[in-house]
Amino acid sequence: MDEIRNEIMNIEKSAEKLKTLAKDNNAIRKNAEIILTFLYILKFITPATD
Amino acid sequence: MEFWNPYTETLPREKLEKIEFSYFQNLLSYAKANSQLYKDKLKGINIDDIKVFEDIKKIPFTYKEELRKWQEDVDPFPYGGLLGIDIANVSSFRQTSGTTGKPVYVPESYESWQWRVESWCHILYMAGFRPRHRVFLPFGYNVYVAFWEAHYAAEKLGCEVVPGGALDTKGRVNKIIELKANAMCGTPTYLLNIAQEAASMGIDPKSLGIERALGAGEPLPEATRKRIEETYNCKMYDHIGSTETCGFAGMCEAQQGLHIVEPFFLVELLDKDTLSKEVSEGELGVIVITPLGRRSFPVIRFNTNDVAIKGPSTCECGRTSLKLMEIVGRVDDISKIRGVLFSPKTVEQLIRSEFPEIVEYELVVTREDIMDKITLRIEADPKLNKDEAGEVAKRLGERHKIKTNLSCKVVVEPQGTLPRYDLKAKRFKDMRGKH
Repeated sequence: MDEIRNEIMNIEKSAEKLKTLAKDNNAIRKNAEIILTFLYILKFITPATD
Repeated sequence: MEFWNPYTETLPREKLEKIEFSYFQNLLSYAKANSQLYKDKLKGINIDDIKVFEDIKKIPFTYKEELRKWQEDVDPFPYGGLLGIDIANVSSFRQTSGTTGKPVYVPESYESWQWRVESWCHILYMAGFRPRHRVFLPFGYNVYVAFWEAHYAAEKLGCEVVPGGALDTKGRVNKIIELKANAMCGTPTYLLNIAQEAASMGIDPKSLGIERALGAGEPLPEATRKRIEETYNCKMYDHIGSTETCGFAGMCEAQQGLHIVEPFFLVELLDKDTLSKEVSEGELGVIVITPLGRRSFPVIRFNTNDVAIKGPSTCECGRTSLKLMEIVGRVDDISKIRGVLFSPKTVEQLIRSEFPEIVEYELVVTREDIMDKITLRIEADPKLNKDEAGEVAKRLGERHKIKTNLSCKVVVEPQGTLPRYDLKAKRFKDMRGKH
């Protein structure tokens, strides 16, 4: 599960960067935000237990 | 056994509780910072004092009346002080049925909605819904949350969803046959109604090819569950949820009680007299729920007024979540009729405010076969002729449907038929289970 959590963090960094890069492009920015939505859920369903 | 999320669904209880407590602390901080309701409600509470699981009980309950109060004349319209996000981020509107009073308007952001859908994926998956299923959803797609969650979750699971709105029951039977739908969701009574309609069309419900179904919106006694299974030759499952809390528990293949979807929800089952002590396995408790990841509409320790029997935290399916063995009913006297919360007061208010030509009435709920029926017996002003009284009855039936979301049969009785009361009237007669 640690590896999965790390990958989620990596994708989150990329999605945030994508959102910033696309600040003038509604379509790309919105899709980046949707990726972040699902990352919120991914983090929620992969909680650390220690 | 198969799981939607094998990681969280099989975690040891102590780990689940630790996670839920951590989510609870996060939600408290979030709600206090972003929701007017909780800014007010938690103002005397230092969140840093909530250090261990037992400290949760220091947080006051939230009641439905409070939710209504915080939407009355509080900005931003229409969500008022319940909103936990910028209103610009609200992506969908839902509301409660409003039969016990003013409806509660529920804002969902894209994130919050997807969080609800993810919870529902657990419910559908544990009920055996899989990508091979073509799921027919026979409900009117409208402002109520019922089955919208099922729709989106079934899509996410990989099922093919057939939206069965805007069809009458016969049309729905024909659509199931036409598309060879093999799974359904619906209120238990409506699933049986569909079967009866099919039979009246000369079609054996077993031949429809429904493999499994999920019930919602009303209690599913074991006898009814088995009857649906026999009627359709399918597997029938149950779940529980509400607009305010989301769908929070579902039935697994073992069909013995409902698993709480953890760690999405922190569910407390509290002694109904003191509301302070967690009940033991096999005991009755009031269900108090905190949805732990929904930020658009934070609700903390929501007292549902529903009473359930606490089940074991072990199950032959391997899930470790807390189980509710039986939903016994509501603490107050609000009835559920055909899956809709119903208050006789709503009818009284309707008649008293809009129908001065009705001099007396009686509301009778019966169960014919297993379908709940409402009959509204009225006595009209004697000055009205038969046609005029019939017109009043027709209009009342229409208004009743709009106000309560339930259809009823209105019968005009001869003068003096109905009892009159000097003191406390007993105009509501719930005859279900009395014959």
